[in-house]
Order: sequence, then structure tokens, then C-alpha cells
Amino acid sequence: MSIPFPSLDYDPRIVWDYLFNSVILEGAQRTIVVAIAAQVLGVVLGLASALMRMSKNPLLNVPANLYVWFFRGTPLLIQLLFWYNGVPQLFDNPDITHQLTSFRVTIFALGVNEGAYMTEIVRAGIESVEAGQMDAAKSLGMTSAKAMRRIILPQALRVIVPPTGNEFIGMLKNSSLAFAIGLMELLTASRSIYVVNFKILELLTVASIWYLVMTTAFSLAQAELEARLAVGQRERPPTLFGRMTEAFGVARSRLR
Amino acid sequence: MQIYGNFPMIRCQDVHKRFGRLEVLRGVTFDVAKGEVVVVIGPSGSGKTTLLRCINHLEAVDHGRIYLDGQPLGYREVKGKFVEKSEREVARMRASIGMVFQRFNLFPHLTALGNVIDAPIHVRKLGRSQGLKAGRAMLEKVGLGDKLDAYPAQLSGGQQQRVAIARALAMEPKVMLFDEPTSALDPELVGEVLEVMKSLAREGMTMIVVSHEMGFAREVADRMMLMDEGVVVEEGPPAQFFDNPRHDRTKLFLGKIL
Repeated sequence: MSIPFPSLDYDPRIVWDYLFNSVILEGAQRTIVVAIAAQVLGVVLGLASALMRMSKNPLLNVPANLYVWFFRGTPLLIQLLFWYNGVPQLFDNPDITHQLTSFRVTIFALGVNEGAYMTEIVRAGIESVEAGQMDAAKSLGMTSAKAMRRIILPQALRVIVPPTGNEFIGMLKNSSLAFAIGLMELLTASRSIYVVNFKILELLTVASIWYLVMTTAFSLAQAELEARLAVGQRERPPTLFGRMTEAFGVARSRLR
Repeated sequence: MQIYGNFPMIRCQDVHKRFGRLEVLRGVTFDVAKGEVVVVIGPSGSGKTTLLRCINHLEAVDHGRIYLDGQPLGYREVKGKFVEKSEREVARMRASIGMVFQRFNLFPHLTALGNVIDAPIHVRKLGRSQGLKAGRAMLEKVGLGDKLDAYPAQLSGGQQQRVAIARALAMEPKVMLFDEPTSALDPELVGEVLEVMKSLAREGMTMIVVSHEMGFAREVADRMMLMDEGVVVEEGPPAQFFDNPRHDRTKLFLGKIL
């Protein structure tokens, strides 16, 4: 006797078939490129805006404060639509509209948005360095710019890197919002397939697998970077390489 | 017209400094001659640290002038008026004033040698090999020739403070300022730091030392100074200062710390 089982329409073989489909792979690649470029832009803007925000000069700190206030306070999706659909209306010039490809606009919009968040991360990192470090650097004849570059920022990095890693993981996933302006990134790519073959669940699975692969690979790389940055710390976390050789050594001694 | 050699190494003229409502320095005037060692004592909050920070222009003075080797510090004299110097000029002047801090303030991300050679290479623009050579020599001088590659966290407090002294000396300063260099140290580590400072004094370095190490002061100081409530209460050679102080305030304070 067999228990009647509702037939579920989910075919794992379709997931496998599409996992290495060229449209999907190109989409995944575009997601990585967009996320990296936008994150780099965000870090650069965040560093500049953090330094401006910490300045006593209102000509510098007021614009930086406005920047953070605006781009952190409005939805990323609106910002994407604003740059992609809104700005062309402003100029009403086909040449400009033509230049504003969804690829470029996505990188720009994500990067500018990210810069607002990075401002706070960089600022917290700089403020985590003891004031005595700046005094010591200045007493050795460094200008504050040189002291920032050679003494303060290298130390701030230890505080800046972990949340920046979180930001990048968010960025990999947030880049999927670009489907709203038609960029063929990973989600849009899988969507373009399921609107034709109606294998919605399978293709969403494919996209999710690739997002997980990307975020996992990046998390491992981040742990490695953090271990390397812990120079001069009493308790230095082991690097990935160190942990692997250690684990390998343990496994070998068990085998014996 | 300025005639070099006739100027004291440091001249403080009616120096005032206030933080908000609190006036920390209320008219401090004194000279330090080339090669002289001045030890400053006084109760906490009397303005000793602020005075050192003003001499290094880490704090700008509100009123009065400080001169280093005849040059006004932080300001330039243009047709009898004082104009604030650019940051670059201030930095250049600071490079010739060494400062040692109570909490060492070593750069934790650099090795002992890295701490010592960073400014010589990147501020004085010595070449890398020359900087390394000078850095090693400085660490040898403070007895840490075997700790070149240690990070500050791997060193004892006394060793860290000796690295900090080597770091300041590597800039070949005209003056060394010490801000309670031994007060954050465990008692058994104080001696090694004081030894380094004594040998510096013997070599003829001009030094202003804020410290309550009275044995050191008696042995090394050319002149003692007592500060209280932002002014210099009494100054004089150590023999007279310790054994025959003129002011009641000095007697009272010495009675408390000796």
C-alpha cells in the first residue's frame, strides 16, 4: 500500500541544468563586477566624507552631513530610479540618456548610497584610535594629513574592515535591486529565463545558490584579511592558511 | 636682528592657556639654556602637562610667546605682528622638539624599529638605509638592540618607554620634553627608563622633565621648578630647592611627596 503523496512540481534536475547556463553565469559575473566597483566607490566616498565630517570647517562638515543624511535616509530603490529614470528627464538630451546605461547607473547609485554608510564606518574607525597617537605623530613633525595616512588610518583599518565586509555582502545582494532598471545581473538573468519556461522556483534556487557561493567565498577571504590585519596584537587570530595546516596536522595524527 | 647663540634654547614669556572657563596656565615665564635640564614638579592640575604641550605647540597658547632657539613657536613675526604659521612650518619646528609621553603612545601597528625609523624616513627624508642604520643605533643606545622586530604589545612598559625615547631621539631634536615618563610604569621598571634619561642629560641634551622622581631630580636637574595653579611658584638649583625652599607652598608640596 502506498501513502498518497501530493505531487510537487519541483525538479532538481532543472536546477542542475541551469546552474552553469551561460545567461546565469554572465549575470553572476555582472553582479560581482557591479558589487566590487560600487563598493570601491563607496569606500572612497566614505573616506572622503568621513574626513570632511570630522573637520571643524563648516564648509566641509555641513555638505558631508547632508550627504549622509540624504542617502541613508531614502530607499536605495528610489535612488536607483532617480539616477536612471529621473536624471534623463532633467536634461532631456538623448546623448546624455544614452550614456546613462543601467550598468553605469547601478555602479554609481549603489556606490553613492554605500558611501553614506561607509562614512560612519570610517569615522568610527578613526575615532577608535587613541588621541595620543595623533599627538605622538605630530610631535615627530608629521602634518595631520601625514599622521592620518601613516599612523591613524592603518590602525583604524582594523575597526573598519569587519563592518565593511558586512557592507560588501549586503552590496552583493542589494545589486539585485538593479533588476528594476533592467540590468542583466544574476536575479534579472534568472528571471529572464523563468518568465519563459515558468520554472520559477528552480531558477530562484539557481540564483540563491550563486549568491550563497559568492557570499561564502567572500566571508572566507574576509576572515583571512582580518587575521592579517591583526599585526601587533597580543592574540593574533590564526590565518586561514594557519588553520588549514593545523587541521591537516590534527587529521594526520589521528590517522596514525 | 637675531644673533644665534645668545638665545636661550627655550623661552616662555607670560604664557597663558585656557580650556573653556578653566585657565590652566596663568602667565608662565622662564628660560631654559642650551644643555640645561629642568625638572618640573607640582600637584596634578597645576598645568605641567599643558605647559609641555604648549612648548610643542600641540596646544596653541592664548596669550604670551614661546621661543625655540630664538624663533617664535607657532607664529611668525611679520613687521612686528605675529601671524600664525602654516601647519607645515609648525610641523617642521615640532620635528626639532622631542616629546616623551606618560602613556608611551607607541604606534602599535609598527615594530620597535618601525616606530623609530618612520619619522626619520618620512619626515626628515633620510634614505631608507640611512634611516634603518640610525634607527638601529638609537635602539642600541637605549639598550634594546635585541628587540628591533618586537611589536609594542610584546614589550614591557619600561621597554616601550625606552623605544619611545629612541623614537624621539631619532629625529635629532634640539630639546627633549618628558611628560611624567615613569608614572605609568611598574616600580621595578622605573630605573631602566631613568638610566636612559640620565645618560641623555650627561650628553648635554636640553631637557624639560615633568616628574616626581626626586632622586633623579636631585642627581640630574640643573634647575627645579614648582608649578601650582598655572604659575611657577619657585625655581632654583636642586640643592637650594630641596633643602632650603623659600616658599611655604614648596615646603608643603615637598613635605607631601618626599
